[in-house]
Amino acid sequence: MNHKIRIIIFCLLILLGVGLLTYGAFFHFADVSPQQESDSTVVAKSEPALIQEVTVGGVKRDESGTIKQTYTGEAPKACPT
Amino acid sequence: MVKKTKLANLASKLLGWRMWIQTAFLVVWLDPLGLRLHTMCSPVFHCYACPLSTFACPIGVIAQFSALHIFPFIAVGLLIAVGALFGSLICGWICPFGFLQDLAGKVPTPKFDLPKWTGHLRYVVLIGTVLAVPYFFGEEHPLFVCRVCPAGALEAAAPAMVTQAVTGKQIVWPNALKLTILVLFLVAIFFVKRPWCRILCPLGAIFSLFNRVSAFFLRFNADKCTHCERCHKLCEYGIEPEKTPNDLRCIRCLECTQCSPDALNLGSIFERGQHKGDKPKSR
Repeated sequence: MNHKIRIIIFCLLILLGVGLLTYGAFFHFADVSPQQESDSTVVAKSEPALIQEVTVGGVKRDESGTIKQTYTGEAPKACPT
Repeated sequence: MVKKTKLANLASKLLGWRMWIQTAFLVVWLDPLGLRLHTMCSPVFHCYACPLSTFACPIGVIAQFSALHIFPFIAVGLLIAVGALFGSLICGWICPFGFLQDLAGKVPTPKFDLPKWTGHLRYVVLIGTVLAVPYFFGEEHPLFVCRVCPAGALEAAAPAMVTQAVTGKQIVWPNALKLTILVLFLVAIFFVKRPWCRILCPLGAIFSLFNRVSAFFLRFNADKCTHCERCHKLCEYGIEPEKTPNDLRCIRCLECTQCSPDALNLGSIFERGQHKGDKPKSR
Protein backbone atom coordinates (compact mmCIF):
# COMPACT_ATOMS: atom_id res chain seq x y z
CA MET A 1 0.00 0.00 0.00
CA ASN A 2 1.21 3.47 -0.89
CA HIS A 3 2.84 5.32 2.04
CA LYS A 4 0.67 8.42 1.60
CA ILE A 5 -2.55 6.43 1.47
CA ARG A 6 -1.47 4.63 4.60
CA ILE A 7 -0.91 7.93 6.40
CA ILE A 8 -4.28 9.27 5.25
CA ILE A 9 -6.12 6.13 6.39
CA PHE A 10 -4.27 6.22 9.72
CA CYS A 11 -5.18 9.89 10.31
CA LEU A 12 -8.84 9.27 9.43
CA LEU A 13 -9.02 6.28 11.77
CA ILE A 14 -7.37 8.16 14.62
CA LEU A 15 -9.75 11.09 14.13
CA LEU A 16 -12.72 8.74 14.07
CA GLY A 17 -11.53 6.84 17.15
CA VAL A 18 -10.75 9.92 19.20
CA GLY A 19 -14.00 11.56 18.05
CA LEU A 20 -16.10 8.58 19.16
CA LEU A 21 -14.16 8.31 22.41
CA THR A 22 -14.66 12.00 23.20
CA TYR A 23 -18.34 11.95 22.30
CA GLY A 24 -18.91 8.86 24.43
CA ALA A 25 -16.96 10.18 27.38
CA PHE A 26 -18.48 13.66 27.54
CA PHE A 27 -21.67 13.96 25.51
CA HIS A 28 -23.44 10.61 25.40
CA PHE A 29 -26.15 9.89 27.96
CA ALA A 30 -28.87 7.27 28.30
CA ASP A 31 -32.03 7.31 30.37
CA VAL A 32 -32.12 4.72 33.13
CA SER A 33 -35.31 3.95 35.05
CA PRO A 34 -35.21 2.84 38.68
CA GLN A 35 -35.89 -0.77 39.64
CA GLN A 36 -39.12 -0.05 41.49
CA GLU A 37 -42.19 0.42 39.29
CA SER A 38 -43.63 2.96 41.74
CA ASP A 39 -40.63 5.26 41.32
CA SER A 40 -40.89 7.22 38.08
CA THR A 41 -37.61 9.16 38.41
CA VAL A 42 -35.60 8.60 35.24
CA VAL A 43 -31.88 9.31 35.53
CA ALA A 44 -29.70 10.30 32.55
CA LYS A 45 -26.48 8.36 32.96
CA SER A 46 -23.28 9.19 31.12
CA GLU A 47 -21.57 6.47 29.10
CA PRO A 48 -18.71 6.00 31.60
CA ALA A 49 -21.32 5.54 34.35
CA LEU A 50 -23.19 3.06 32.14
CA ILE A 51 -19.98 1.11 31.52
CA GLN A 52 -19.51 0.86 35.27
CA GLU A 53 -23.11 -0.32 35.63
CA VAL A 54 -22.83 -3.04 32.98
CA THR A 55 -19.65 -4.39 34.56
CA VAL A 56 -21.70 -5.36 37.62
CA GLY A 57 -24.90 -6.26 35.76
CA GLY A 58 -26.51 -3.11 37.13
CA VAL A 59 -28.73 -2.29 34.16
CA LYS A 60 -31.01 -4.31 31.90
CA ARG A 61 -33.29 -3.63 28.96
CA ASP A 62 -36.84 -4.76 29.62
CA GLU A 63 -39.43 -5.92 27.06
CA SER A 64 -40.74 -2.40 26.53
CA GLY A 65 -37.24 -1.22 25.56
CA THR A 66 -36.68 0.74 28.76
CA ILE A 67 -33.28 0.51 30.41
CA LYS A 68 -33.81 -0.36 34.03
CA GLN A 69 -31.57 -0.49 37.06
CA THR A 70 -31.43 -4.05 38.45
CA TYR A 71 -30.87 -3.04 42.07
CA THR A 72 -31.90 -0.48 44.65
CA GLY A 73 -29.34 0.98 47.02
CA GLU A 74 -25.86 -0.55 46.97
CA ALA A 75 -24.60 -1.80 43.58
CA PRO A 76 -23.76 -5.51 43.09
CA LYS A 77 -20.06 -6.35 43.47
CA ALA A 78 -19.57 -8.32 40.25
CA CYS A 79 -21.27 -9.20 37.00
CA PRO A 80 -23.65 -12.18 37.40
CA THR A 81 -22.66 -13.76 34.06
CA MET B 1 23.72 -2.39 2.08
CA VAL B 2 20.53 -0.99 3.54
CA LYS B 3 20.71 -0.22 7.27
CA LYS B 4 18.01 -1.14 9.74
CA THR B 5 15.83 1.73 10.85
CA LYS B 6 15.88 2.94 14.46
CA LEU B 7 12.47 1.42 15.05
CA ALA B 8 13.56 -1.95 13.62
CA ASN B 9 16.63 -1.86 15.86
CA LEU B 10 14.51 -1.06 18.90
CA ALA B 11 12.08 -3.88 18.04
CA SER B 12 14.99 -6.34 17.71
CA LYS B 13 16.29 -5.31 21.14
CA LEU B 14 12.85 -5.52 22.75
CA LEU B 15 12.09 -8.92 21.25
CA GLY B 16 14.16 -10.72 23.87
CA TRP B 17 12.24 -8.84 26.55
CA ARG B 18 8.75 -9.57 25.19
CA MET B 19 7.78 -11.82 28.07
CA TRP B 20 8.91 -9.21 30.59
CA ILE B 21 6.97 -6.51 28.75
CA GLN B 22 3.90 -8.75 28.89
CA THR B 23 4.53 -9.23 32.63
CA ALA B 24 4.83 -5.48 33.18
CA PHE B 25 1.51 -4.89 31.42
CA LEU B 26 -0.05 -7.76 33.37
CA VAL B 27 0.68 -5.77 36.52
CA VAL B 28 -1.16 -2.80 34.99
CA TRP B 29 -4.25 -4.90 34.15
CA LEU B 30 -4.29 -6.69 37.54
CA ASP B 31 -5.09 -3.51 39.45
CA PRO B 32 -2.38 -3.63 42.14
CA LEU B 33 -3.55 -0.28 43.53
CA GLY B 34 -7.18 -1.36 43.78
CA LEU B 35 -8.33 1.48 41.55
CA ARG B 36 -11.06 -0.46 39.70
CA LEU B 37 -11.41 2.13 36.96
CA HIS B 38 -14.43 0.41 35.46
CA THR B 39 -15.77 3.55 33.85
CA MET B 40 -13.13 3.06 31.16
CA CYS B 41 -12.28 0.15 28.86
CA SER B 42 -8.84 -1.33 28.36
CA PRO B 43 -7.73 -2.49 24.90
CA VAL B 44 -7.12 -6.05 26.13
CA PHE B 45 -9.07 -9.20 26.91
CA HIS B 46 -9.40 -9.24 30.70
CA CYS B 47 -12.73 -9.89 32.43
CA TYR B 48 -14.13 -7.01 34.47
CA ALA B 49 -15.70 -9.46 36.90
CA CYS B 50 -12.22 -10.59 37.89
CA PRO B 51 -11.45 -9.33 41.41
CA LEU B 52 -8.17 -8.04 39.97
CA SER B 53 -9.08 -5.92 36.98
CA THR B 54 -8.19 -2.29 36.53
CA PHE B 55 -10.39 -1.54 33.52
CA ALA B 56 -13.51 -2.90 31.85
CA CYS B 57 -13.21 -5.53 29.09
CA PRO B 58 -14.11 -3.85 25.77
CA ILE B 59 -15.76 -7.00 24.40
CA GLY B 60 -17.94 -7.41 27.49
CA VAL B 61 -18.91 -3.73 27.28
CA ILE B 62 -19.75 -3.92 23.54
CA ALA B 63 -21.87 -7.05 24.13
CA GLN B 64 -23.69 -5.53 27.13
CA PHE B 65 -24.34 -2.29 25.23
CA SER B 66 -25.60 -4.33 22.29
CA ALA B 67 -28.08 -5.98 24.66
CA LEU B 68 -29.15 -2.52 25.85
CA HIS B 69 -29.45 -1.31 22.21
CA ILE B 70 -27.01 1.54 22.91
CA PHE B 71 -24.00 2.28 20.72
CA PRO B 72 -20.78 1.88 22.79
CA PHE B 73 -18.95 5.02 21.63
CA ILE B 74 -16.13 4.73 24.18
CA ALA B 75 -15.32 1.06 23.56
CA VAL B 76 -15.53 1.34 19.77
CA GLY B 77 -13.61 4.64 19.69
CA LEU B 78 -10.87 3.18 21.86
CA LEU B 79 -10.54 0.04 19.72
CA ILE B 80 -10.41 2.07 16.48
CA ALA B 81 -7.75 4.44 17.84
CA VAL B 82 -5.62 1.69 19.40
CA GLY B 83 -6.12 -0.58 16.38
CA ALA B 84 -5.09 2.20 13.98
CA LEU B 85 -1.92 2.74 15.96
CA PHE B 86 -0.83 -0.78 16.86
CA GLY B 87 -3.06 -3.37 15.15
CA SER B 88 -2.33 -6.84 16.50
CA LEU B 89 0.79 -5.69 18.39
CA ILE B 90 -1.65 -5.46 21.32
CA CYS B 91 -2.28 -9.23 21.10
CA GLY B 92 1.38 -10.17 20.91
CA TRP B 93 2.80 -7.79 23.47
CA ILE B 94 0.32 -6.60 26.08
CA CYS B 95 -2.78 -8.84 26.25
CA PRO B 96 -2.83 -10.79 29.56
CA PHE B 97 -4.93 -13.63 28.13
CA GLY B 98 -2.46 -14.04 25.27
CA PHE B 99 0.37 -13.99 27.81
CA LEU B 100 -1.26 -16.81 29.78
CA GLN B 101 -1.39 -18.89 26.60
CA ASP B 102 2.23 -18.00 25.77
CA LEU B 103 3.29 -19.28 29.20
CA ALA B 104 1.32 -22.51 28.80
CA GLY B 105 2.82 -22.88 25.32
CA LYS B 106 6.29 -23.06 26.91
CA VAL B 107 5.43 -26.43 28.48
CA PRO B 108 7.21 -29.07 26.38
CA THR B 109 4.22 -30.96 25.00
CA PRO B 110 3.57 -31.97 21.39
CA LYS B 111 2.17 -28.96 19.53
CA PHE B 112 -0.44 -29.23 16.81
CA ASP B 113 -1.10 -26.78 14.02
CA LEU B 114 -4.51 -25.49 13.08
CA PRO B 115 -6.11 -25.35 9.63
CA LYS B 116 -6.05 -21.84 8.15
CA TRP B 117 -9.83 -21.56 7.96
CA THR B 118 -10.17 -21.74 11.76
CA GLY B 119 -8.92 -18.14 11.91
CA HIS B 120 -12.22 -16.99 10.39
CA LEU B 121 -14.20 -18.39 13.33
CA ARG B 122 -13.15 -15.30 15.31
CA TYR B 123 -15.35 -13.15 13.10
CA VAL B 124 -18.26 -15.56 13.62
CA VAL B 125 -17.77 -15.21 17.40
CA LEU B 126 -17.56 -11.42 17.09
CA ILE B 127 -20.66 -11.03 14.95
CA GLY B 128 -22.62 -13.83 16.63
CA THR B 129 -21.97 -13.81 20.35
CA VAL B 130 -20.83 -10.20 20.82
CA LEU B 131 -23.21 -8.33 18.50
CA ALA B 132 -26.15 -10.37 17.16
CA VAL B 133 -27.09 -12.64 20.08
CA PRO B 134 -27.02 -9.80 22.67
CA TYR B 135 -28.91 -7.44 20.36
CA PHE B 136 -31.70 -9.85 19.42
CA PHE B 137 -31.94 -12.07 22.51
CA GLY B 138 -30.47 -10.01 25.37
CA GLU B 139 -27.79 -10.84 27.88
CA GLU B 140 -29.58 -13.87 29.33
CA HIS B 141 -29.15 -15.96 26.18
CA PRO B 142 -26.75 -18.92 26.78
CA LEU B 143 -24.62 -17.85 23.80
CA PHE B 144 -24.09 -14.31 25.08
CA VAL B 145 -20.29 -13.90 24.95
CA CYS B 146 -19.75 -13.45 28.70
CA ARG B 147 -21.71 -16.65 29.40
CA VAL B 148 -19.30 -18.75 27.34
CA CYS B 149 -16.06 -16.79 27.75
CA PRO B 150 -13.16 -18.84 29.17
CA ALA B 151 -11.49 -15.63 30.42
CA GLY B 152 -14.57 -14.91 32.52
CA ALA B 153 -14.64 -18.49 33.80
CA LEU B 154 -10.95 -18.49 34.67
CA GLU B 155 -10.55 -14.95 35.98
CA ALA B 156 -13.93 -14.35 37.60
CA ALA B 157 -15.95 -17.53 38.16
CA ALA B 158 -13.03 -19.63 39.45
CA PRO B 159 -11.84 -17.08 42.07
CA ALA B 160 -15.47 -16.52 43.12
CA MET B 161 -15.97 -20.28 43.59
CA VAL B 162 -12.75 -20.55 45.62
CA THR B 163 -13.88 -17.64 47.81
CA GLN B 164 -17.29 -19.27 48.29
CA ALA B 165 -15.65 -22.57 49.24
CA VAL B 166 -13.22 -20.94 51.67
CA THR B 167 -15.88 -18.84 53.36
CA GLY B 168 -18.26 -21.80 53.62
CA LYS B 169 -20.90 -20.29 51.35
CA GLN B 170 -22.83 -22.28 48.76
CA ILE B 171 -20.73 -22.63 45.60
CA VAL B 172 -22.33 -21.14 42.51
CA TRP B 173 -21.11 -23.10 39.48
CA PRO B 174 -20.89 -21.55 36.03
CA ASN B 175 -23.19 -23.07 33.40
CA ALA B 176 -22.19 -26.38 31.74
CA LEU B 177 -21.26 -24.78 28.41
CA LYS B 178 -18.93 -22.28 30.06
CA LEU B 179 -17.29 -25.04 32.12
CA THR B 180 -16.85 -27.22 29.01
CA ILE B 181 -15.25 -24.36 27.08
CA LEU B 182 -12.97 -23.60 30.03
CA VAL B 183 -11.83 -27.24 30.30
CA LEU B 184 -11.27 -27.45 26.52
CA PHE B 185 -9.34 -24.18 26.65
CA LEU B 186 -7.15 -25.32 29.55
CA VAL B 187 -6.29 -28.52 27.68
CA ALA B 188 -5.81 -26.82 24.32
CA ILE B 189 -3.32 -24.19 25.53
CA PHE B 190 -0.78 -26.95 26.18
CA PHE B 191 -1.07 -28.49 22.72
CA VAL B 192 -1.83 -25.57 20.39
CA LYS B 193 -0.10 -22.19 20.36
CA ARG B 194 -2.55 -19.51 21.47
CA PRO B 195 -5.73 -21.44 20.61
CA TRP B 196 -8.11 -18.78 21.93
CA CYS B 197 -6.40 -15.93 20.07
CA ARG B 198 -6.26 -17.84 16.81
CA ILE B 199 -9.67 -19.48 16.73
CA LEU B 200 -12.15 -17.58 18.85
CA CYS B 201 -10.93 -14.22 20.20
CA PRO B 202 -13.36 -11.47 19.12
CA LEU B 203 -10.95 -8.73 20.22
CA GLY B 204 -8.16 -10.24 18.15
CA ALA B 205 -10.61 -10.34 15.23
CA ILE B 206 -11.14 -6.58 15.57
CA PHE B 207 -7.42 -5.74 15.85
CA SER B 208 -6.52 -8.04 12.97
CA LEU B 209 -8.67 -5.89 10.66
CA PHE B 210 -6.25 -3.02 11.31
CA ASN B 211 -3.10 -5.01 10.46
CA ARG B 212 -3.06 -3.74 6.89
CA VAL B 213 -3.45 -0.07 7.78
CA SER B 214 -2.01 0.35 11.29
CA ALA B 215 0.78 2.84 11.99
CA PHE B 216 3.10 0.02 13.01
CA PHE B 217 3.30 -2.86 10.56
CA LEU B 218 5.55 -5.67 9.42
CA ARG B 219 7.74 -4.55 6.53
CA PHE B 220 9.08 -7.05 4.01
CA ASN B 221 12.19 -6.16 2.03
CA ALA B 222 12.11 -8.37 -1.08
CA ASP B 223 15.69 -7.45 -2.05
CA LYS B 224 17.07 -8.90 1.17
CA CYS B 225 15.00 -12.09 1.13
CA THR B 226 17.03 -15.18 0.28
CA HIS B 227 13.96 -17.45 0.26
CA CYS B 228 15.52 -19.54 3.01
CA GLU B 229 12.04 -19.85 4.57
CA ARG B 230 13.48 -19.46 8.06
CA CYS B 231 10.63 -17.06 8.81
CA HIS B 232 8.19 -19.95 8.24
CA LYS B 233 9.91 -21.88 11.01
CA LEU B 234 10.12 -18.85 13.29
CA CYS B 235 6.39 -18.16 12.95
CA GLU B 236 4.49 -20.33 15.40
CA TYR B 237 1.13 -19.52 13.84
CA GLY B 238 1.52 -21.12 10.44
CA ILE B 239 1.86 -17.85 8.53
CA GLU B 240 4.29 -17.34 5.67
CA PRO B 241 5.43 -13.84 6.63
CA GLU B 242 7.29 -13.10 3.39
CA LYS B 243 4.09 -13.72 1.43
CA THR B 244 1.61 -12.05 3.79
CA PRO B 245 3.54 -9.92 6.32
CA ASN B 246 0.35 -8.26 7.54
CA ASP B 247 -1.76 -11.39 7.60
CA LEU B 248 -5.05 -11.21 9.53
CA ARG B 249 -3.91 -14.17 11.66
CA CYS B 250 -0.64 -12.48 12.68
CA ILE B 251 -0.42 -11.47 16.37
CA ARG B 252 2.73 -9.41 15.73
CA CYS B 253 4.96 -11.33 18.12
CA LEU B 254 7.75 -10.21 15.72
CA GLU B 255 9.59 -13.54 16.05
CA CYS B 256 9.89 -13.65 12.24
CA THR B 257 11.99 -10.47 12.32
CA GLN B 258 14.85 -12.65 13.64
CA CYS B 259 15.44 -13.97 10.13
CA SER B 260 19.13 -13.50 9.44
CA PRO B 261 19.05 -11.40 6.25
CA ASP B 262 16.79 -8.84 7.99
CA ALA B 263 14.19 -9.08 5.26
CA LEU B 264 11.37 -8.66 7.78
CA ASN B 265 11.27 -5.68 10.12
CA LEU B 266 8.88 -3.64 12.17
CA GLY B 267 8.00 -0.58 10.12
CA SER B 268 5.96 2.50 10.83
CA ILE B 269 4.28 5.23 8.87
CA PHE B 270 6.17 7.76 11.00
CA GLU B 271 9.47 6.88 9.34
CA ARG B 272 10.32 9.35 6.61
CA GLY B 273 10.26 7.63 3.24
CA GLN B 274 11.28 4.05 2.61
CA HIS B 275 14.62 2.49 1.96
CA LYS B 276 15.66 1.65 -1.53
CA GLY B 277 14.42 -1.81 -2.34
CA ASP B 278 11.73 -1.75 0.33
CA LYS B 279 8.59 -3.38 -0.91
CA PRO B 280 6.13 -3.41 1.92
CA LYS B 281 3.40 -5.93 1.25
CA SER B 282 -0.02 -5.32 2.69
CA ARG B 283 -1.83 -8.53 1.93
